[in-house]
Order: sequence, then structure tokens, then C-alpha cells
Amino acid sequence: MIDFPHIEALADVSPAWPVIIGGLIAAAVPNHLLRKVLALLAPILALVLWFNPETIGTYGIIEFGGFTLETFRYDNLSRIWSFVFILAAFINGLYGLHERDRLADASGLIYSGAGLGAVFAGDLLTLFFFWELTAISSVFLIWGARNNAAYKAGLRYLGIHILSGVLLLAGAVIRASETGSWAFGEFWGEGMEGGAVAAGIGLDSLGGWLIFLAFGIKCAFPFMHNWLQDAYPKATITGAVVLSAFTTKLAVYALARGYAGTDILIYIGAVMTAFPVFFAVVENDLRKVLAYSLNNQLGFMVVGIGVGTELALNGAAAHAFVHIIYKALLFMSMGAVLLRAGTVKASELGGLFKSMPATSFFCLIGAASISAFPLFSGFVAKALTLSAVAYEASHGHPELIAIWLVLVFASAGVLEHSGIKIPYFAFFAHDRGLRVREAPANMLIAMGLAALLCVFLGVNYGVLYTLVPFPEVAAQYEPYTFDHIVGQMQLLIAAMFAFTFLVRMGWYPDEKRSINLDFDWIYRRFGDGMVRWAWAMVDRLMAALGNLIAAARAKFGSRMFEAFSPMGALSRDIPSGLLAIWTSALLAIVLLISYIAR
Amino acid sequence: MSDPANKKDELVHPLAKPFLWLDAKWLKTSMIWIFGVLTLVFIGADFVHHRHDYIPIAEIPGFYAYWGFGAFVLAVMIGWFVVRGLLERDEDYWDEGGDHD
Repeated sequence: MIDFPHIEALADVSPAWPVIIGGLIAAAVPNHLLRKVLALLAPILALVLWFNPETIGTYGIIEFGGFTLETFRYDNLSRIWSFVFILAAFINGLYGLHERDRLADASGLIYSGAGLGAVFAGDLLTLFFFWELTAISSVFLIWGARNNAAYKAGLRYLGIHILSGVLLLAGAVIRASETGSWAFGEFWGEGMEGGAVAAGIGLDSLGGWLIFLAFGIKCAFPFMHNWLQDAYPKATITGAVVLSAFTTKLAVYALARGYAGTDILIYIGAVMTAFPVFFAVVENDLRKVLAYSLNNQLGFMVVGIGVGTELALNGAAAHAFVHIIYKALLFMSMGAVLLRAGTVKASELGGLFKSMPATSFFCLIGAASISAFPLFSGFVAKALTLSAVAYEASHGHPELIAIWLVLVFASAGVLEHSGIKIPYFAFFAHDRGLRVREAPANMLIAMGLAALLCVFLGVNYGVLYTLVPFPEVAAQYEPYTFDHIVGQMQLLIAAMFAFTFLVRMGWYPDEKRSINLDFDWIYRRFGDGMVRWAWAMVDRLMAALGNLIAAARAKFGSRMFEAFSPMGALSRDIPSGLLAIWTSALLAIVLLISYIAR
Repeated sequence: MSDPANKKDELVHPLAKPFLWLDAKWLKTSMIWIFGVLTLVFIGADFVHHRHDYIPIAEIPGFYAYWGFGAFVLAVMIGWFVVRGLLERDEDYWDEGGDHD
């Protein structure tokens, strides 16, 4: 093990700060070269700070307004997430080197830094601050595409993520008022009797539920997921790569810290693994296919957190780690296609391996990794979660057999949309005669680095297993057993056979220029329609009320006119005797009242 | 006059030229056989060496192959007939409401 020198003066500086400050400087610097230096230097500085703490502990404590803010909690869980966030920030910086966009440079860095800050947050207020900062900074990666669709999607994205932040704050306030503590997951990693990990927050209070909902929105739980498929495909080329790394994995981290072992997550996660598969099969926009695929991958991590054993949590963390890299690689390859071919619509692509062989090769590595082929990173990570579920299913939780079957189904689904569809329709399939230039050198270097990591981690899985939250448990796990390799190869090869079979029989759907509605129809069309209808109804009601009041006033006015006008009833000539009688009667009543009142 | 097909081939990236066979018709038609045979080989491995698994059903020889094949077909069919069948709309569907997509 390498011993890194400890710099005492920097002991309290969270790795998030150099990245955020780098982003703020980039926002002010017009010089393109300087901004690019910052994009690469800031993650390197963050990495230096990551290595700086000598021991597990909480650093960077700030007293502010009567609150104790913990900005740098360095423990077994934050270590792995922050490390891969730093790695992703560096790769993203490389990938975006050719872009001359100050807004993208600044927002990319601030967003990455905010993600790091949230991972290191030791209390819910610090978490809230960085949680909202990720939302606000990342929206510029969508708006950076500078078209109307991206602008609208960005607004929806921002609204949903601000809502997530508001729920988090509300939950934190309620929780603090009940428990007197703002701590975030203080019990995590303790009391691991029987391999179970105590949930840091849990669902035993309203505050706990609100925070859970906040995390669920960012994690793209079913029915809360559409911001992901809506916004990511409309982001800039680099923006989609950057976005794919942080937001959802931050939510997975937050769930792992706050809700490990919460049963409901098993079922939510299982649904997440399965339903995006069906949408991805017939989606024409390949970046949207990747967004559905992202949703499916998150499901595996959520199931792992729900199971909550040490092995399962190792699985969730390892999966998040490798997923960030291979998903970024796939988004990078599609970004390169978009840059060169001008589209990522499957119906307009094909045969690009002849023009972009290096990009095709890197995409295939990403596809093999996400499909969990042996020797690739997905294999050694996903195995932990599946083994944990299978182990629990055979040790007193038979209900998990169904969940395990869903996960295996979803594994075949992953192969369909990310393992086959993405590379096949972009680079092979029908040669559409597109002859474009290969991706720029910086993009290829970034993709090459990510591809190298996919293979490196797949082969040298021990490195990954030392980073997971429970390395001593991971050290006892062997992914490359004969049984596991054969089982996985059966699954993947038979699924590939199914693909060739369906294509040969003409039973595989053509790529069509169309869209498929998803749950966002509820708020984009139905909800929007309801609001418009309600608004129109209120408008009509107000008009009707106005008419009613006007009519009543007119009627009252005419009655008064009839009574008091010179032509009115009270102005008519009436006998004076009668008037005298009425006057006397009125006087008598007045006298009577004043007598009684006295 | 230059042949357009030749001109197109001239634009092929030098690194891709050794791999043009990937686009060959014989490969496309033989893929089904290649994967079919490979599937049988991996199923056969279960008969040579009994696979141990926590889940009893997974110990059936060739279980993962059957499940993988079935899952793939099911995913494609549900995607095709349920998602596309019920939820497919024109590309400009969202534009019509002024809500660009």
C-alpha cells in the first residue's frame, strides 16, 4: 500500500472545494485554455485532498449560525463514491477539452464539486446545500444545448429537482425537531451483527419519509423517473456525459447512507430494473436509450441497498463505481456520434464503424461492461448484488427468489438495449453511407481511459473490492468461479442468440422515427391540460360572478330608482293625512325604543 | 468517371479497413448459427460439470440460457406490442402542444 504524505494545513479542506472554486473561476475567465487547465487541474487537486486524511473521520467542521456543518466526512461509504466522482470529473474534463463554452466549463465543474460536497456532507443541512447546488448548476448543462426543447426540458428538470431539495429540507427540519439532530446517517456502518447494517434515517417518521421521497426523485424511482429521460438526451454532448455520472449516483449514495436495509427499496429497485427495458427496446433516440438503461442500472443498486447486508451494500457501491465509468463511456461514444453524424437517432445511423473505428471499439467495451461479460467491470460488480440477493433468498427470505428472477431478467434486458442496440444500430446494422470523421483526439483519449478502466477493474477486481464499504467481506468473495462464468455466459450468449433469431425471423422491431409516451405524459399533457382547464374554469367562474354582481347591482339600482327618483313610489302625491299618520307611528316607535333602551 | 461505391470505400477510416468483413453478408447470415452453437456449448457445460447455485431452480442444467433467451424475447415483444403498440406517437407529438421534445 502506498503511503501518501499528509498535509496538515489541508486536513479540513473537502475535495469538493477545489472543484467548485475551479468552476467559479472558470465562469469568470474568458480564456479558453485557462478554463481547460482548470477542468483538469481541479479534479487532480481534489484527488490530492482525497488522499490527505490519515484516518477515517469527520473533518472540515464549520460553526455557522448556531449550526454545526460537517463538510468532510471521510468514511468507508463516502470514500468510494467520492473517488469515482473525482475520476469522472477528470474524464469529463478531458472529454470536453475541444468545447469552447464558458458556461459548460463552469457549470460542469461546479456540478461535479457539488456532487462531491454532498457525498462528504455529514449533516442534513450541508447535504441540502450541495443537493440544491447540484440541481442549479447542472441545469446549465441542459440549457447549454441552446434550443427550445432543451430550454423547456431544463425548466422541468429544475422544477423537479428543486422540489426534491424542498422535500429534503422539510424532512430534515421535521427530523431535527423530533430528534434534535441534523446528523445524516450517523449510525451507518455500526451494529453490523449478522451482516445487517442499521439505516441512518429510516422510515419511522414523517421526516424520514419526506427525505426518502427527496432521494427517490433524484434516484429516478418509478413514476418519478421521467426527468432523466426528458433532460439527458437534450443536454449538450459533454453535458449528457457529465450528468450521467453524478445526480442519480448521489441519490444512490444518500439511500445507502440513510435507508440501508429498508425493505421497500428491494421492490422499488426490482421495478426499476425491469420497466425501462421495455421502453429502451423501441426507443429511437440512442441517448434516450442510455437514459432508460441508466434507470435500469440504478435499480440493481437500489435492490442492493434494500437488501442491506454487507455483501449487498458492497454490490451497490461497486456497481455505482463501475457504472459511472461504463455509462459515461457509452454516453461519450454517443456524444461523438452526435458530434460527427449530427444525430443519434437509430433510424438514421448504421455502418459508422467504417468511419469511427476507435469510437466503435470503445463503445463495444462499454457495452460489454454494462452487459457484465466476464473480464469486464460490470461482471465483478453486479455479481456481488445478485449473489447477495440469492444468498438471502436461500437463507430465510424465499420471497427474494422472485426479485432475483427479475434481476436476471433485467440482466438480459441490459444486454438488449445497451449491449446490442447501442453499438449495433450506431456502428453496424445497415450501412447508411455516412462517412464522417473520427471523434476528436481528446474525446478518444477520454473514451480510451474509461475503456481501460472497464477492463482493468474487470480483471483486477481486487482493487475495486478494497474500495467498497466492507472490504473484508469483499475479500472473501470470488467472482470468477466456473459456475458463475458459465451461468453468466449462458445468459448472455442465449440472449444474443435470441437477438439473431428475432432478426432472422423478422420479429425484431424496426427503428422508427417516433416517440413513445411515458409517465411524464401525466404532467406534461394531462396535468398541463387539467391546469389549463382549471384556469379556464376559474376564469369563467369569475366572469359569471362578475355578471351576477353586475346584474344584482343593476336590479338594486333600478329598485332604488323606482323608490326614490322623482318619478318613484315615494315621490308620488299621497294624501297628507295618511302621511301624518305614518309620521306619528314612526315617532311613536322611536319614543318606545328610546324608553325601553334607557 | 469514378465509381461512387469505390469513392465511398476510399473514405473508410484506415483503422476500419481490416475489419470490413464485419459488414459481410456471410457473417450476418451465419450469426444465428454461431450464437446457436455457442448457446448449446454453454448449456452442455452444465452436463459436464454440475453448477451450484443458491437458488434451486438455477441448478437446472441450462437454466440461465433458457431464462436469457426467454427474457430477451419477452422484453422485445412487450416493447414492440405493448409500449410501441399503445404509446407510440409522432415525433412532433410534444411540439403540437408547444412543449418541444
